[in-house]
Amino acid sequence: MIKEGMELIDAHFKNEGISRRDAMKIFGVGGTATLMASGATSEVRASSATGKIVIVGGGLAGMSTAARFSNSLDNPDITVIEPGDLATSYQPGQTLVGGGIWEKEALMYKTEDFVPDGTTIIKEKAVEFDPENNTVKTSGGKTIKYDYLVVAAGLKLAFNKIEGLEISETITSTGDHTPVSKVIGKNGLASIYFQQGSEDTWKEMQKFIAEAKSGKKVKGIFTHPNTPIKCGGAPKKIMYLTDARLREAGARDNAELMFYPNGSKMFGVKEYHNAIEKQFGERNMKWNYRHNLIAVDPKGKTATFNRHWKQKGAWDEDLEEYGIELKSKEITVPYDFMHITPPMVAAEEIASSPIGSMKGWVPVDKETLQHVKFKNVFALGDIAGIPMGKTGGSARKQYKVVVDNVITMMEGGDINNNHKYAGYTVCPLVTSIGTVMLAEFNWTKKPTPMVPLDPTQERWIWWLLKVYLLKPMTQYGMLSGRA
Amino acid sequence: MNKTNLILMVAVAAMFTFSGCGQSGNDGGGEAITYKLTPKQVWEQKCHKCHGDKAEGLTEKKTPAMNDRQAGELELDLFDVKNEGTNQSSGTDHEKMAHNMQKLLEKGFNYDPTAMAKFIEKNFYIGNKAEKK
Repeated sequence: MIKEGMELIDAHFKNEGISRRDAMKIFGVGGTATLMASGATSEVRASSATGKIVIVGGGLAGMSTAARFSNSLDNPDITVIEPGDLATSYQPGQTLVGGGIWEKEALMYKTEDFVPDGTTIIKEKAVEFDPENNTVKTSGGKTIKYDYLVVAAGLKLAFNKIEGLEISETITSTGDHTPVSKVIGKNGLASIYFQQGSEDTWKEMQKFIAEAKSGKKVKGIFTHPNTPIKCGGAPKKIMYLTDARLREAGARDNAELMFYPNGSKMFGVKEYHNAIEKQFGERNMKWNYRHNLIAVDPKGKTATFNRHWKQKGAWDEDLEEYGIELKSKEITVPYDFMHITPPMVAAEEIASSPIGSMKGWVPVDKETLQHVKFKNVFALGDIAGIPMGKTGGSARKQYKVVVDNVITMMEGGDINNNHKYAGYTVCPLVTSIGTVMLAEFNWTKKPTPMVPLDPTQERWIWWLLKVYLLKPMTQYGMLSGRA
Repeated sequence: MNKTNLILMVAVAAMFTFSGCGQSGNDGGGEAITYKLTPKQVWEQKCHKCHGDKAEGLTEKKTPAMNDRQAGELELDLFDVKNEGTNQSSGTDHEKMAHNMQKLLEKGFNYDPTAMAKFIEKNFYIGNKAEKK
C-alpha cells in the first residue's frame, strides 16, 4: 500500500515538478513539525547515573551525542573539546553548494548555537590522550580528566599527499582552509570536501560550463582516492551535477566527463554498482577504474595518476590456485576542470596516540562502538575505525548506540544487552537536478531500503528528502539528540 | 500551489517520518548467513599456511602478521578483504588477498569477519609487545 502510494506520488511530481518555495513550505517547516510530532523521534532514556563525560569533537556526531546525554541524564556533566567556530556545520549540503543549488551560508552552523544544557565547551584542540589515566590534554595546556571519553574528532583532508599542489598541511571541512584555498578553487581545480571549497567549486564549474558553451571542447575529470573517505558518493554526485548543469546550458556535447576512482567499482553493493554504471552510460559520463591521483600540475592543467592492475601470478601451493601480481604505471592527462576528492586520514595526534591504530582510526567494536583496548572510550563518526559509515546517516544511528552504552556502563549494566549498531549507512546519490537514488545498506552489503520502493531507481521524492528534509532532520532531530 | 500537490507533499512528509527516516523501520539486520566451518576450522585448514602458526606473518610468503592488533582492527581488514574494499570506489589495500579470498570462498572457506577477528585475537594476539614493535 505504501509502496504503490509512493510510486504514484513520485511519478506525479516527476511530471509536474514543484517550485522551490512550495517544497520549502512543506519540507522546511511542515516536515520538521511532522517529524517532531510523530513517532519518528526516538525515546530518550532517563537516568540518574553520574559520571564525567568528555567528547572530543563538536561536529554533527559529537554535538548530537552531547545533546542526547544532556536529555538523558538528570545531572549531566559533559565537556566538549572543539576549537572550530563552524564545526557543527551541515556538511552533507556541500555537494548542493558545489552544484549551485544552495548558498554556502545555508550550511554554516555556529558551534556555539548547538551547545546543549549541562555542557561545557572548551574551544581548544585535544592534543594528547592518556587513556591509562583517563585524561586528555588540550592545546591550551589543560589536563581534563574523564570517566568516559567519546571520540568524535572527524577526519583530516590530506591534499598534502598530492604532489604538485604545494600544500603542506592537512585541513578539516570547516576549519582554516587557507593552505588549500591557495590552489584549490582556482584555475579549474575544485573540491566540495571543504566548506569554502564547495562555494568555489560552483564558481569553477560555471567557468567550465561557459567554456563548453563558447564552443570549446573541454575535459572535466573527477577523482576518488585510495583511502576511506567521508560521503563515498560525493565524488560522483558532483560529476552528476556537472553533467546536469552542462545539459541545462545546452553545452553537454562539448564536454567530456571522466571519473577516475582508485577502486574498480562504483559501489560496494552490487545492486547499486550496476545501477550507477547504467546511469553513467545513459548520460555519456565515462569512467576509468584503478586510477589514483598522485600529482597535479596546476599551471599546465595536467593530472598524474597511478594506474594499477593485476595479472596472473605464480601457482600457489597453499591456495591451490594461481595468485596475482600487481602492476602499475603513471599516466598523465590534461583537464580543464578537475574535482579532487583528497585522501583522508585520522588526525596525527589521535592516530599516533594510545587510542589510535595502525591505520590511524580509533579501533572500536563495530557494533558497540567501544574501544578495543579501553572500555570507557567510545568512538563514532568519521574517526571510528569501522568498515563503513563515514556519513551523517551513519552518525545518526551511531550516536544513540554510544549514549546508550555509556549510560549502561555508568549504571553498572552490560552493554552487550543494548541495541547494536548494524552498520546502517545511507548515500542519497544526487543523479541530476531533481533526482536522487537513495542507496541504503548495512554490514550485510545488501540494499536495506527503509521504505518498500526499488532502491536502485532515481526518484524525485528522494530529491525532496535530500534537498528539503535531511537538513531540518539533522538540525532539529540529531542536534537536539532526539532523532 | 495547487491542492493536489499540497496534499501529496504532506503525504510524502508523513510517510518519510512514519515509515523510514525516523527510528522505526528496517534498521538493518539483513539476512542471517550460516557458516559451514567455524573460524578455527578455516584457520587450521587454510589461513595458518600463509600467515604462520602464530599468525606472525611469513617472510617467504610476504604475508602480514595478524597477531599484532586486536579484533576491531583485524575485522576492518577482514571486512575489506572479503568485500574487495569497504568504500564505494576507494578500492582495497589488500588486492592480493582479496583475490585469494574470492578463491577461498569458492572453495567453501567462508567466515564471519567478526568471529574470525575475535578468534585470531583470542589465540594469537601478543598484547603490549605489539605496540613496542
